[in-house]
Amino acid sequence: MNRFMVLLLSLMMTSVFAHANSEHTLGTQADSMKSSGKTYHQSSSMIRKMHPEFMNHKRDKTLRQGVRTEEYSLKGCVSCHASKKDQSNDYHAIDASEQFCSTCHQKVAISVDCFGCHRTTPAEGDK
Amino acid sequence: MDSKINRRDFIKATTATTASVAALGAGITLTTYVNANENPVTNEKRWGMLVDTNRLTESDIDGMVTACQKENGWGNETHSTGDQKASWIKKIKVKDTATQRISNLALMCQHCEEPPCVDVCPTNASMKREDGIVLVDKHRCIGCRYCMMACPYDARSFVHEELTNQKEHMPRGKGTVEACTLCVHRVDKGEQPACVEAVDSDAVIFGDLLDVTSNIHQTLKRVQSTQIRADLNLNTGVRYSGI
Ligand code: HEC
Ligand code: HEC
Ligand code: HEC
Repeated sequence: MNRFMVLLLSLMMTSVFAHANSEHTLGTQADSMKSSGKTYHQSSSMIRKMHPEFMNHKRDKTLRQGVRTEEYSLKGCVSCHASKKDQSNDYHAIDASEQFCSTCHQKVAISVDCFGCHRTTPAEGDK
Repeated sequence: MDSKINRRDFIKATTATTASVAALGAGITLTTYVNANENPVTNEKRWGMLVDTNRLTESDIDGMVTACQKENGWGNETHSTGDQKASWIKKIKVKDTATQRISNLALMCQHCEEPPCVDVCPTNASMKREDGIVLVDKHRCIGCRYCMMACPYDARSFVHEELTNQKEHMPRGKGTVEACTLCVHRVDKGEQPACVEAVDSDAVIFGDLLDVTSNIHQTLKRVQSTQIRADLNLNTGVRYSGI
């Protein structure tokens, strides 16, 4: 029984590390920033942990007070983190499965309802 | 700070979504966030609109409705019928019963100073910005529709179906109430609402009611104008002349 547990545990560990190492895509814009050596967020761990709070704060600021800066804007997340489809210039919806935000959300069992209203792909020249 | 990119890089990055990666490196400068508002709006301004019904033609009004639909992405709802349809701005005919005189006017949210929709909202979703623009904060809207009942102008509508491909600047979705926002996303950039821009005379003017140098302030001082249902003392931001 113990041996089984160890086996199971090590299997689980490898799958976790496999995930951490796999070259998952950040989205078209963010990938190209990253590969040209740029970063955007102050710190990755900060944005990973705190993005819900940042965005909730931001939406009140924008909608209720008219503050329209780029920081923590949801439009911004979409424009950087949406991925282009392989064969065309269209984008995958940012909330589709296997995409940047949802891969992680699935893992942590979060479902996000923002995209019932918010556009899921970067705007195409329509401002 | 050094791990953050500067504004110019950000602008390049966010607006080059249709350009290629190579072009991104090559340096395109676009101006999306150049006039970004960093400070909250204040009550030093009060946005308003004046509609001159004597000069506004029926086709002007149709143009205003179309411009609003195009700007904000409503009007293509396929499953909503009759009263369920979105309606942010509409053409109204008013007839003087004595003289039979007919006037056409464009009716939308009147952006009241004392908005009944805000009074009745149980979640603070219905709200008035400091600068007088009345909005639905859809993040808080639970879809109860009290505000629709309370509005004397029938200016609000409810989204009855799931939507896709919304405008980036105008998120809309099933289960929430919506109405004219005075094109707040444009006003915050220093632009005019889409419907005002669509009329190519000054039959409709937009501006800051409190700014003594503004066209709207000066015109309102000069000409006779009314508020619809002025008897309710809501002090609307949208005014009409010629009725
Ligand atoms: C200007 C483009 C840009 C915008 C806007 C942007 N990001 Fe990012 N994001 C990046 C880049 C580039 C990275 C890679 C690491 C870095 O730069 O910090 C990244 C990394 C991340 C990560 C960490 C990914 C990981 O390694 O696990 C998260 C989470 C994230 N972004 C979420 C968001 C959210 C949420 C928003 C909107 C509030 C947003 N991003 C807006 C470019 C952007
Ligand atoms: C019922 C519709 C609706 C839903 C659901 C919704 N929003 Fe919004 N959101 C809006 C509207 C309307 C605006 C105002 C847009 C404007 O004035 O530019 C907005 C604006 C914002 C803004 C500021 C503009 C921007 O793009 O940065 C943020 C941030 C935001 N929402 C975040 C969220 C997040 C996060 C969620 C999910 C947890 C969410 N919203 C869900 C309707 C919605
Ligand atoms: C590294 C993993 C990870 C990535 C990548 C990620 N998220 Fe999240 N997200 C989380 C976690 C974990 C939570 C729950 C946090 C909590 O409940 O405190 C969350 C919560 C949220 C919430 C709040 C949901 C709610 O209803 O309260 C929003 C909105 C959100 N994420 C948006 C995004 C967007 C947009 C992106 C892509 C640009 C993104 N996230 C990418 C891990 C991630």
